Amino acid sequence: MKTQQPRRGPRRGGGRGHVAAPARVVALGLLLALALDWRFESRAQAYDPATTHAGLTQQAAAASLLHQVLALRLGRPLGLFEPVSLHAERLTPSERRLLLARLGALDPAGGYRPGDDGVAPALAFVVAGSVIAKMPPESVQHLFFDPSTGSGLKDSAGADGFFHSLRLIADAGGSVRQLATGTGFALEGEPSLKWLDSSDNDLGLPVFHQQLERALSHPDPAERSSALARALLALGGVLTVLEDAGNPAQVRNDFRGSYLQGRTGSPFDRWSRFERGVADFYGMGGIPAPREIVRRPTLRAFFTDPDGQGLADRTQRRFFSDGTVPADGIIDTETTGADVVREARQSLTYGLPIFSHLDLRESGVRRYVTVVEGKEPPRKILAYERVPGRIRFFLDGRVYADSARVLLPEIAGYAAGLIDHLLRGEVKLAREGDSVRATLVDPVGSIRGGTLRLLSEDASGRRSEIAAFPADRGAPESVSVVVPAGSRRIAAVLRGWDAAGPVVAGGELVLPPPPRR
Amino acid sequence: MVERAPFPARPDSVRPADLLGPYDGKVVDADSERPIAGALVAASWAFERGIGVIGPLAAEELVTQTGPDGRYSIPRLGRLPTGLSTRVRRFTVIIYRHGYVGWRSDRRFPGRQVRRDFSQQGNLVRLERWQAGYAHALHLLFLGGSARVREVAAWEAQQAGLDLEAESTERAGQAGGAVAGVLGGGVGGVGMSGRLPVALLDITPLLTDDEIRGVTGYVGTFDDGKLADLPTTEFYDSRHFKAKDRPENYDVGLRVWRLGPAAAEVQYQKLQRDLPRSSSTDEIGDASFRARAGQIEGLVFLVRERGVVVSLTCGTNQCTDPAQVLTIGKLVESRLSDLAAPSVPTPTPLSDPLDETLPDRLKDAE
Repeated sequence: MKTQQPRRGPRRGGGRGHVAAPARVVALGLLLALALDWRFESRAQAYDPATTHAGLTQQAAAASLLHQVLALRLGRPLGLFEPVSLHAERLTPSERRLLLARLGALDPAGGYRPGDDGVAPALAFVVAGSVIAKMPPESVQHLFFDPSTGSGLKDSAGADGFFHSLRLIADAGGSVRQLATGTGFALEGEPSLKWLDSSDNDLGLPVFHQQLERALSHPDPAERSSALARALLALGGVLTVLEDAGNPAQVRNDFRGSYLQGRTGSPFDRWSRFERGVADFYGMGGIPAPREIVRRPTLRAFFTDPDGQGLADRTQRRFFSDGTVPADGIIDTETTGADVVREARQSLTYGLPIFSHLDLRESGVRRYVTVVEGKEPPRKILAYERVPGRIRFFLDGRVYADSARVLLPEIAGYAAGLIDHLLRGEVKLAREGDSVRATLVDPVGSIRGGTLRLLSEDASGRRSEIAAFPADRGAPESVSVVVPAGSRRIAAVLRGWDAAGPVVAGGELVLPPPPRR
Repeated sequence: MVERAPFPARPDSVRPADLLGPYDGKVVDADSERPIAGALVAASWAFERGIGVIGPLAAEELVTQTGPDGRYSIPRLGRLPTGLSTRVRRFTVIIYRHGYVGWRSDRRFPGRQVRRDFSQQGNLVRLERWQAGYAHALHLLFLGGSARVREVAAWEAQQAGLDLEAESTERAGQAGGAVAGVLGGGVGGVGMSGRLPVALLDITPLLTDDEIRGVTGYVGTFDDGKLADLPTTEFYDSRHFKAKDRPENYDVGLRVWRLGPAAAEVQYQKLQRDLPRSSSTDEIGDASFRARAGQIEGLVFLVRERGVVVSLTCGTNQCTDPAQVLTIGKLVESRLSDLAAPSVPTPTPLSDPLDETLPDRLKDAE
C-alpha cells in the first residue's frame, strides 16, 4: 500500500519566483495569457466589499461604542446618525483624486454613499471606508497576512503572476511600465499588518490618528468636519484589513488556489462561488451581528498573538482554503484509511486543521470532515470523495455555508472590539466654576508623547488653543484651565502613545449659553 | 456582462428578470389596499469589475415618486460602463413614505429576511404602517439608500440615535463603563431586533382643559385628542385641545419631545430654524423662542436637564395676550417631572439569516 502524490493543476507550492516582464514580450504574453486561460477553473474565496464588508462593518460599528463616542465625546449628538460633511474643496488634490472617484462609484442602495454635497451620516463614512479600501479590487494584494510567518501575499509561482498582470492590463488599462517594474499586481503584496501603517494607504492607521486629532483641534469647523469624515473613512479601511484576517485564503497565502481558478466562459469573468454565495445570501443587510465583542490588548493582537487568539491565528488553524486542502491521494486495494489520512496530512502546507478519520468504503459518495467547537453544531471543514484510483479533497457549498455561519459573527465581533480599542483614549471635561477640568482616561495606562491641548470654541464655531501641556514624560492626569469669555464649547485632544500603541484621546464639553436677560 | 437577476420578470413567472429593466409596479397601503401617492422610489444599479477579486466600479441611480394611482415606472438602463470584466451586478429598489415601514426589493423589515415577492414588472408593494415598537435605528440601518432617501427619512435620525444610545448605555453598564471594559473579557448580547419593548410617551398629565380656561377665560369646551402630524412614540406625544364649534384660532396644541439632552438640543435648533417668524425670547426653560403663523402663536422651549423640547401653540382668539401663552407654558414646564420615566430597551440578538433555507448557489457549489 502506498499513496502517491498525483500531478495536479495549479496548486500552491512550487517556485515562487517573480517572473521578469520585459516590455517586448508583453503583446505576445497578453495573447498567451488569454490563450492559456484554460489553466484556471472556477474557485475563489474573498469577501465582497459592497455587501459582505459593508455589512460586517455596519454590524461592528452598531455593536461598538462608536455611537457613544461620537455623541458624548466628540459632540455629535446623533452619534452614528449625525450628518458629517466631507468638504471636497478642503481636500488636497491627491486626496480628491483618491477618494472622491471611489466614493462616487458606490452603490446608493447600501446607504453609505455620501451625497453630491459630501454629506452622509457618520456611520455611512465608516462603512464607505471599508468598501473603498478594496477599490480597485487589486488592492487586495496588500490584505493578506500569514500569521505563521508574518508575511503577506507571495504566491507568484511560475507564470501565474505575470499572466494575471497581463489580464489586468487588458481589463483595466494598467500600464506596461507597471508590469515591467513589478508595481502592478503580480500576486505579491505587503503583509496587511504592515499595510495598515503604510504611507501609501490613504485609509490606514496614521491617517485615522492624524484626522481624528484634526477633527478636534483644527480652528475651522468645516475642516474639522472633513477631518472627522476622513477619520471615519480610515476607520472603515482599517476594519476591512482586520475583516480579511477572517478569510481563510487571505491568512493561508492562497491567491492562485482561491482566486485564479475561476472560469465561467469569458477569461475576464472570474468570480468565486463562495464570495458570490455569501454576498447573494447574506447581502449587506443579512450579515449577522457579533455574538460577542472581542477584547484584545493591542492592535496586533487582534490579528495575531502568541496566545493564538488573533483573528488570523484562529482562521488559519480552523479553516481550509481552496488552494490549501490536502493533495489528492492515489489509492489501491491495499490502501487503508489511516494511510490516506497520514499522507493527506503530510501534504498540507499548514499543519492545521487536522483530521484523523476518513470513510473510504464507498466510491462516488461525497463525505465531509466535520469538527465540533464548543456548543456549536458540527461544522464541515473539508469535502472528500473516493473516485476510481484516488481520493479527492475539495471545498464545496456546504463547507462554505458552515464556514460563513461561523466566521461572519466572529469577524464582526473582532471588528467591533477593534473600534473600541482604537477609541480607547478619552479626555473627560468637567466644568468647575469659571474653569474646566480635563482628566485623561486610558484603560491601558498613561499616555506619553505629544501635547495635551485644550481649545475654546467661540459662537462662530472657530477654535483656538487656550492651554497646552507637553506629555513627553507622561501626560498630566488632570489639569484645570480658565474658560475664556464667550466660549461655547471646550475641546481637548492628545495624540500620543500608551502601552497598546498610538492613541488619540479627545473630548468635548458643550458650555451653557450666556445667562438670560 | 449582465448578471442573472435573483427575481422574476413578473409575479406570476419564473423567468428571471432583466436587470437592466424597465421596471414598474404599484404601491398600496397594506391594510386598506389603497394606492399611496407621493412615495419616494429610489432605483439603483451597481456595476462591478475585477478578475478573481471583484469590487465596485460605478453606480447609476434614478429617483421618482408614485403617481396618484400609486404606480411607479423606471425606464430601462441606457448607459453602461465599459471594460472587459465589467458587469451589472445588482438592481435595488427602495420605497419610502413617511408613516410607513421602508420597503426594499432585497430584504424585509424588521426580520431582515430575504424578500421573495419582488418582480421586475407588475410589482405590488404593500407598505406597512409604522408601529410604535419598531426601532428607528434598525430601520435606518435596514433602509440604506442615497442622499435622497436619507433626506426624506431624516426625521428618524434623532430617534435612531436614541435607540443606539440606550443600547450603548446598556452594554457599557454590562462592560463596566464606556472604556473600562476595553481590556476585559468578551461581552455577549450585542445587536438589536427591529422591535423594542417600549412604553409610549404620554403627556396627558401636563395640561388640562380647565387649566387653559383658567388662564384664557375661555368659556367654551374642548374636544381633546392628538395632533395628527406625527404618531405618538416613546419619544414624542401631542395633545390637541380643539375648541368645540369654533374655528382653529381658538385651538391649543401641545407637542413634547423627550429625546435626551443632546438630541433635544438638536430638535430645538431644528424647530427654531424651521418654524416661521421665530425669534429668541429665552423666557422659559433653558432656552425658548416664539413663532407665529397666521392666527397661531407658538412658544417653544428647551429643558436641557430633562432632555425635553416643548412646543405650545395657541390661537389668537384663545390666547388674546402673548403672556397667556407663557403662563400655560410655565404650567406645562412645572409638570414635566410628572411624566413617566422612559423605558430602557432590552437588546435581543438579531435573527440568524441562516435560519432561512440556504441558497442553492451557496449550498450546491463545489
